[in-house]
Amino acid sequence: MQTATEKLEGLDVWIYHGQIYIPNRYSAGAVGSRFLIELRDRKRIMGTRCSGCNRVYVPARSICGDCYQQLEDWVEVSDKGTVLTYSVCHEDNGVQPVEAPVVYGIVQLDGADTGFVHMMGEVELEELRIGMRVKAVFREDRMASILDIKYFKPL
Amino acid sequence: MVKNVKAKKATDKEPEYIHIQIDKPRRYDWSTGKYVGHFYAEAKENKRIMGGRCPKCKEIWLPPSVICPKCKVEMGWDWVEMPQTGQVYQYTYLVFPLWDPHYGEKWANPYASAVILLDNGVFYRHRLEETDKDKLRVGMRVQAVWKEDYDERGQGPGDILYWRTIEE
Amino acid sequence: MPNRVGIVGIGQTYHAARRPDVNQAEMVAEAVRAALEDAQLSVKEIESVFTANMETFEAIYLPDHGMASEVGALGKPGFKVNTGGTTGGSVVAEGFYMVASGLFEVAMIVGFEKQDCGDTTAAISAAATPLWGKGATTGAIGEFAKQALSYMETSGATEEHAAMVRLKADRNACKNPHAHLRLGLQSIDEVLKSGYLVWPLRILDFCPQSCGACVLILASEKKAKQITKKPVWLVDVEVVHQEPFRAGVFGDPTGKETYTQHVACERLYKRNSITNVRKDIDLAEVYEPSNWEEMNLYEHFHFCEKGDGWKLVEKGITEMEGEFPVNCSGGVLATNPIGATPVIRVAEAALQIRGDAGEHQATKDIKTAIATALGGPNWTVLSLLKRSL
Repeated sequence: MQTATEKLEGLDVWIYHGQIYIPNRYSAGAVGSRFLIELRDRKRIMGTRCSGCNRVYVPARSICGDCYQQLEDWVEVSDKGTVLTYSVCHEDNGVQPVEAPVVYGIVQLDGADTGFVHMMGEVELEELRIGMRVKAVFREDRMASILDIKYFKPL
Repeated sequence: MVKNVKAKKATDKEPEYIHIQIDKPRRYDWSTGKYVGHFYAEAKENKRIMGGRCPKCKEIWLPPSVICPKCKVEMGWDWVEMPQTGQVYQYTYLVFPLWDPHYGEKWANPYASAVILLDNGVFYRHRLEETDKDKLRVGMRVQAVWKEDYDERGQGPGDILYWRTIEE
Repeated sequence: MPNRVGIVGIGQTYHAARRPDVNQAEMVAEAVRAALEDAQLSVKEIESVFTANMETFEAIYLPDHGMASEVGALGKPGFKVNTGGTTGGSVVAEGFYMVASGLFEVAMIVGFEKQDCGDTTAAISAAATPLWGKGATTGAIGEFAKQALSYMETSGATEEHAAMVRLKADRNACKNPHAHLRLGLQSIDEVLKSGYLVWPLRILDFCPQSCGACVLILASEKKAKQITKKPVWLVDVEVVHQEPFRAGVFGDPTGKETYTQHVACERLYKRNSITNVRKDIDLAEVYEPSNWEEMNLYEHFHFCEKGDGWKLVEKGITEMEGEFPVNCSGGVLATNPIGATPVIRVAEAALQIRGDAGEHQATKDIKTAIATALGGPNWTVLSLLKRSL
């Protein structure tokens, strides 16, 4: 990426148009890896269950925030769920996975006790409603990424 | 329908771990402000290195500052031109390529980076031209080498390419 | 008068180069669990949580937001600190201020770093001001290379002395199951054969990049005595900052001399009536980014006269069995998850005072210890620990 210094008209002030570019490689960890591998290999959405609080966390995580129990009980949840809320982003900002307008929704899948953030697709903006029922659409070429789910479409 | 799935038994193979690669540069627009901006201006227009002098303690600060770090008073607009020669006070020498986050690429190595004591007693940090480690010495005299092309300048301290060893 | 602060729980991960089996939050949870077990406390009894991390290394901004569950901080007060290399020291200071003020009775201090997620040297170069850093930034290692060069020139220390320090660190680390680098180095030649990284520092002269977390649980005097029979008293903390590039405010602007150490010592030693450092203090856990810097720090912390740092090494005074053991844990040369490293110094000093350091316990009885932190443009944080008040 080109960096440049630009002088502001009439002032002895310069703007340095720069960047910070450091490649990063994050570990999903054992639990995160299993969640993503299940998406890739078997198109299954998995959560972990806390027996103390009787709560299923989706995406799967390793610890219960309330009782601090280590979660080892894996549970498959449905690929269908309910939209808890949604938002539409009309501006491109360079880091979104798709072009604007991007519809984000918090979806609570059947069997899960938490919502999780993903995109919605195959839906007109006027149709969006809290409480609408949606179903996950998986990509053909999956790579053990959260984006292996392409979007959620209305049922 | 929710199904309980038994945990997988541990196998002899290493489990597969997923890593998420994020490789995007983040863009920023940093303003230099009035004081560092003046340094940038003099470097671009006149190939001069300017330091600010404190009105109270008369000490010269490079990089220029808005408040004197020593006596904490406002610096005012008293500028002093720095000499472009000095001696190497301390240096180091890189033998492995460094990833520069401001350019998003690796710097060519080997190269020397030094603290230079300018002839008026002010310190300046920059690269040296000499890449042969056996020729580097504390105390050797060096001189600033500028980017000659006017359009290429305007990068502040980046307008000086490196400091060249001068024979005495 | 500030209230007294005790360390009642200590926990750390088994530090490693790579931890693909956990994400950042899960790694921290390991250390939190270890500390809770050490203190025999449940997560509900922790009143406040203070975390420390240098985000740019992992480029996970606001990491504490994503790990409130793992750290046991749901619904509780506390915040994250980032002060560069002294990040862990600052969070210890922060916890100390919180409990000493009387506003909190129990504070959990969490330092962590998962350096396999990013490029550390690039991140440190990114920390240099973009307006002024061009051409001059070489990451932390470049700065320590310059200090090593000047120490070599002014003190008469040789590469052999530096190698002796490296051997001591490795010998001690091999007895510390939590340490990252446990190489089993046998001789000075092995150290001297390793190649140059940034001249004059060799690969073995400099600290590694590790993934790890370290947790301390601090409590007020009353609570500490209820929680454990062996609280270690965090008696005093001193923090001194300065600027890069214009460090001349404390004397030498080039960083050839490290002046924040002098200022910090003077204040801390005076407040605690320490006049003969090697007599009044029994052990030190210093934050030494390189073996050369360790010898330099002996002088700056007044463990010996100026110019004599290498003599302490030659005479074996700072060995585990010596008269003034330094870095029985292996120090930063063996383990360096940056956000956690200064917390590890305090944790290891506390373990020595408690007598719980296992194989790497110092031979002499440790009643008073000092832990240091170093970072950025030579910022210093000092912590003084005692067995009895």
